[in-house]
Amino acid sequence: MEFYTQSAWLIPIFPLAAFLLLIALGRSYRTTAMLLGSAGSLAAFVLSLLVLFERLGPDAVDYSIRSFKWIVIGDYTLRLGFEVTNLTSLMLVVITGVSLAVNVYSAGYMKNDERLTVFYGYVALFTFSMIGLVLADNILLLYIFWELVGVCSFLLIGFWYARPSARAAAKKAFIVTRIGDAGLLLAILLLFWYMPGHALDFTSIYNVFHEGQSGVMTSGITTFIALLILLGAIGKSGQFPLHVWLPDAMEGPTPISALIHAATMVAAGVFLLARTFDIVSASEAAMQTTAYIGGFTAIFAATIALAQNDIKRILAYSTVSQLGYMVMAIGLGSVSGGIFHLFTHAFFKALLFLGAGSIIHAVHTQDIREMGGLGAKMKTTAWTFAIGALALSGIPPFSGFWSKDAILTTALDENPVLFVVGLAAAFCTALYMSRLFFLVFAGKPRSGHAAVKESAAVMTIPMIILAALSVVAGFIETPWNGWLSGWLSGSEAVETVHGGSSIAAMVASIGVGALGIYLGWLFFVKKSIGSGFMAAKLPSLLRAVERGYYIDEWYRVIIVKPLRGLGSTLAVFDEYVIGGTVRMTGALTTAAGRFAARLSNGKVQTYGLAALIGCIVLIAVIVGRRFWS
Amino acid sequence: MNILSDWPILSIILATPLAGLLVVLLLPSRRNRWLHAAAIITTLIPLLLSCLLYSDFVNLQGVSGYEEQATWVEVPLNKETLEGVTSYKFIIQYAVGIDGLSLPLVILTALVTAMAAFASIHVKKRWKAFYAWFLLLEAGMLGVFLARDLFLFFISFELTIIAMYFLIGIWGYFNRERAANQFLIYNGIGSAVLLIAFIILVNTAGFRIEQSGNVLDFIYSGNYADLAKNMTDPTAWVNLTSEAMGGLNPFHMGDAMQWTLFVLLMVGFGIKLPIFPFHTWMLKVHTEAPPSIVMIHSGVLLKMGAYGMIRFGIYLFPEQAKAWAVVLAVLGLVNLLYGALIAFRQKDLKQVLAYSSISHMGIFLLGLAAFNEIGLQGAVFQLVSHGLISALLFLLVGSFYERTKTTELPLLGGLARSMPFMSGMLLAGGLAALGLPGLSGFIGELLSLLGLFESHPWLAGLALLGIILTAAYVLRSVLKVTFGPMDEQYAAAKDARLVEAVPMIVLLAVIILLGCYPSMLTDTLHYSYETLIHPILATRAGG
Amino acid sequence: MLPSYLTMAAILFCIGLYGALVKRNAVVVLLSVELMLNAVNLNLIVFSKYGVAPSLTGQVFSLFTITVAAAEAAVGVAILIALFRAKGTVNVDEYDEMRR
Repeated sequence: MEFYTQSAWLIPIFPLAAFLLLIALGRSYRTTAMLLGSAGSLAAFVLSLLVLFERLGPDAVDYSIRSFKWIVIGDYTLRLGFEVTNLTSLMLVVITGVSLAVNVYSAGYMKNDERLTVFYGYVALFTFSMIGLVLADNILLLYIFWELVGVCSFLLIGFWYARPSARAAAKKAFIVTRIGDAGLLLAILLLFWYMPGHALDFTSIYNVFHEGQSGVMTSGITTFIALLILLGAIGKSGQFPLHVWLPDAMEGPTPISALIHAATMVAAGVFLLARTFDIVSASEAAMQTTAYIGGFTAIFAATIALAQNDIKRILAYSTVSQLGYMVMAIGLGSVSGGIFHLFTHAFFKALLFLGAGSIIHAVHTQDIREMGGLGAKMKTTAWTFAIGALALSGIPPFSGFWSKDAILTTALDENPVLFVVGLAAAFCTALYMSRLFFLVFAGKPRSGHAAVKESAAVMTIPMIILAALSVVAGFIETPWNGWLSGWLSGSEAVETVHGGSSIAAMVASIGVGALGIYLGWLFFVKKSIGSGFMAAKLPSLLRAVERGYYIDEWYRVIIVKPLRGLGSTLAVFDEYVIGGTVRMTGALTTAAGRFAARLSNGKVQTYGLAALIGCIVLIAVIVGRRFWS
Repeated sequence: MNILSDWPILSIILATPLAGLLVVLLLPSRRNRWLHAAAIITTLIPLLLSCLLYSDFVNLQGVSGYEEQATWVEVPLNKETLEGVTSYKFIIQYAVGIDGLSLPLVILTALVTAMAAFASIHVKKRWKAFYAWFLLLEAGMLGVFLARDLFLFFISFELTIIAMYFLIGIWGYFNRERAANQFLIYNGIGSAVLLIAFIILVNTAGFRIEQSGNVLDFIYSGNYADLAKNMTDPTAWVNLTSEAMGGLNPFHMGDAMQWTLFVLLMVGFGIKLPIFPFHTWMLKVHTEAPPSIVMIHSGVLLKMGAYGMIRFGIYLFPEQAKAWAVVLAVLGLVNLLYGALIAFRQKDLKQVLAYSSISHMGIFLLGLAAFNEIGLQGAVFQLVSHGLISALLFLLVGSFYERTKTTELPLLGGLARSMPFMSGMLLAGGLAALGLPGLSGFIGELLSLLGLFESHPWLAGLALLGIILTAAYVLRSVLKVTFGPMDEQYAAAKDARLVEAVPMIVLLAVIILLGCYPSMLTDTLHYSYETLIHPILATRAGG
Repeated sequence: MLPSYLTMAAILFCIGLYGALVKRNAVVVLLSVELMLNAVNLNLIVFSKYGVAPSLTGQVFSLFTITVAAAEAAVGVAILIALFRAKGTVNVDEYDEMRR
């Protein structure tokens, strides 16, 4: 009875064991490292699949163990445990699946790197932490793994540590997400003191917020907690205004961008919002904020992606934009929509990154203006990339269409403004993806890449598998078949009631997607409109978009510089005021000593005078005492 | 035969370094290796014994109070104030004992000292004198944490200062003499303040009355148990001696005197901690002292101030401490943010770490100021955790300095290429310092803030800013050293030798162990619930 | 009677003290010291006559003091002469032997 679910705690053990072995092995066992890392994630993947199949059964109940008392302090107990729900089992499969694909792919992509063992070790550690994050049964344990995945991301962004840009990007990623993490930690502190029995596990949270125990917390506190959780999600999922680290994170190796910065870790914010949806949905203001932040990020990042020239940065901004969709869906109350998009996005975005990696591996540049005509030489890459691009652009029947459509339908029902925003973002998405695709694969080579050839099978096979998944993954939830949302919420599959709005959203979404691709074709293949069109008309706007609306520069001026200034001021204060006071005390003591030394000039009369003064003082003290008290 | 219950185990722990000191003095002074080995073995014994003690303590859930006492000096006093007292005596005791607060610190001391003994390969001259002072320093530190008597405490406290003075002044870096002088003067002032407080304490609260039949002995001493009893229960003797003394309470301490003592103790120990603005001496020590000594200094010696603050400040004067909790919290916040902001702008790695110590001691103060059990647990956890982390970091800095001959951040970079092991360790230590979950630093921060959040939520919210800043300055300096393009002159530098790697690995292992299984430490403190935690909660409830 | 004698003695003592501390000439300093001693003598005698318990002890004591003062003056002048021989001056500002 539910054998695999009960042994779900084994899933993270495999990659953890792989990590420990890899760290212990050292650098010389390169082939072993590849096999070990892949084996770890393969085992985890198989077990995750088994768990998922078990949960597909009709009478699957949430299974949790929270017996481990981590810290006991008086009446307060912090427990650790794991919990398997339908949501977590789905996430497990996504994580371990992508991790497995990336492990295999890296065997080709990273094969010449001297720190291959370290790379596999970090990836295994990341997989472990990410699985732990998903399995955590309480928000504190989730936070622990949340930080661990953050640190793995940091380590892998800075993997090529010798580059100053990688160093800066790693540092930035850690510190920016740390801002969000501090918010999440504050939310946990608040929850700890406000929850009855100081319980932090999700079941108790569900009970408190779901069954109307509204007396426990005031609505102000609830909103505050929800906003702080949102802050955590914003940091991790690269939402505006904390999105700045994600494009820079592309300094890491491309498989890492696929695994961490597209498919899994950045989706952790969305997962967090879904996991704590009971809290967030308890506050109308927090829901509104979530929806608008998501919507704004979606359109904001999509426009930036239009003007980028680095293939990975385009994909990075595209990730930010798609994460915006997910956050918006949750803000609009549709957890299943957000998770559905997370699910499909994980496959096609990982696929796109792996394709980009394959291209970069072949041409050794990341600038799309230097590519072109690669379609003929890299057939597999081109085909799989096209599938990913179409899925991302929301063209039926690829998976992205269904998930995006689910979100847009909700938006149309709930908030027309956000529906329009979502449509505009979808249009931009189609446009920048067609630009990317046509510039890279169509036309003639723009610089001499004579020796370009298709990547090895070890790299293309994961891409092909992911491409297949990108095609079919969308069918688990269509407007006619609400299986996923029913499964996620634990009830029988519900008949969708969208009806008219669903068809309207679908038509509009296909329309803008096709329009975007058509425009892209006009621009970059047919060249009926010159590609220098924008640059000629509005150069400053183009530059602003290209630089991401100067958000980085704003941060530098508003936050970094004042903090540095404050630090320097305090350093000066410390040196001269506090240190000065200390030195002055010393100097005063020395001066007093000098003065006393001058008194002993060897003349009897001076000594006599001193003795006289002493006598007078003594008499004054003795006599004066009786008047004092 | 049970070694723990039949032997005076605490005295053995305390005496081992002194015995080792004798051995070192007898060894020939040119045999560096012999001396080094003798020092390592000597420091390992207290570590082993204290670990045994720990397992026993945990097994018995803290009920076995280890206490050893002997009378050292006895002076009859010519004093007649109370009717019926047969004799007045003044005794100086040798009294040692442990409870859930001092045991972790004893283990920390033994561990850090043993690791520092391993790492003492940087000593290039006068080995014999170095190890002699080194072992004397250990004896002093152990004495501070084991002492259950003001005199033993104070003597041990002073012993560490003297030993440190010579260790810095002779074996330090370029500006060593100046640093040693400043250290001595600053700590001398702190000790003087403490001495005043202690003398007043012995003269007022440090008495007990022994009654057998008609004989009534009135005994003054620095015994901690007597002090605690009199301070926390001022009317203890009224009923006991009612027949002989006619219901007079022999103990009285005015409000003004209590406040004076409390402030004196706080200042005296605050200098050691150090609390802003008494921190400048520490910066020099951290820059100038030799690596293994900085390990001990920042790993253990700073904790003596914290320990004294809890032991004497909080437990003897709970009312005053509670009234001052806000002040302590604000001071802690200032320490935290001030240290972090300045660390962010320092150009020398040692200075960064020195300011980081100030910042981390701020978290200790915050936990203390929470004035509840979680906060206290967090504060103690932060002490142990920071002791381990800073010992690891300063050990690494010393090893890097040996190879690069500089700790200026602008001159360093890319050391991960030539020294991957040490760079990885530095990164791990840095991550522990910035409070990464799974490493011990996180638990200290979490518990301190959790505790503080109940008492002063706004201050705890502000303290979270410190956590972001900590990440910023730690990563800035650690990445500057390890990542980035490498300077060619460091290309030939060798990675850590075995004798350096052992302490690094051990320290990191303990950091990870505590981070993953914090109950090891929190349970220990909780076992002494009656003496360590109940008073605090009682004060809370009363006020 | 007693207060006026005591005032007289105090004035004498102060004059002597002033001279002993301020005068440059060593002979005058010695004379001033004698003046202070005599102020003390005066006090002793006055207390023995008009004090709370009059007795001869005070007068006897003053005789002792006079004797000691004579001896002191002799020794003092002897030292002074020795110093004068060594230094060639009676200015006390030049006498800073205690410093060395």
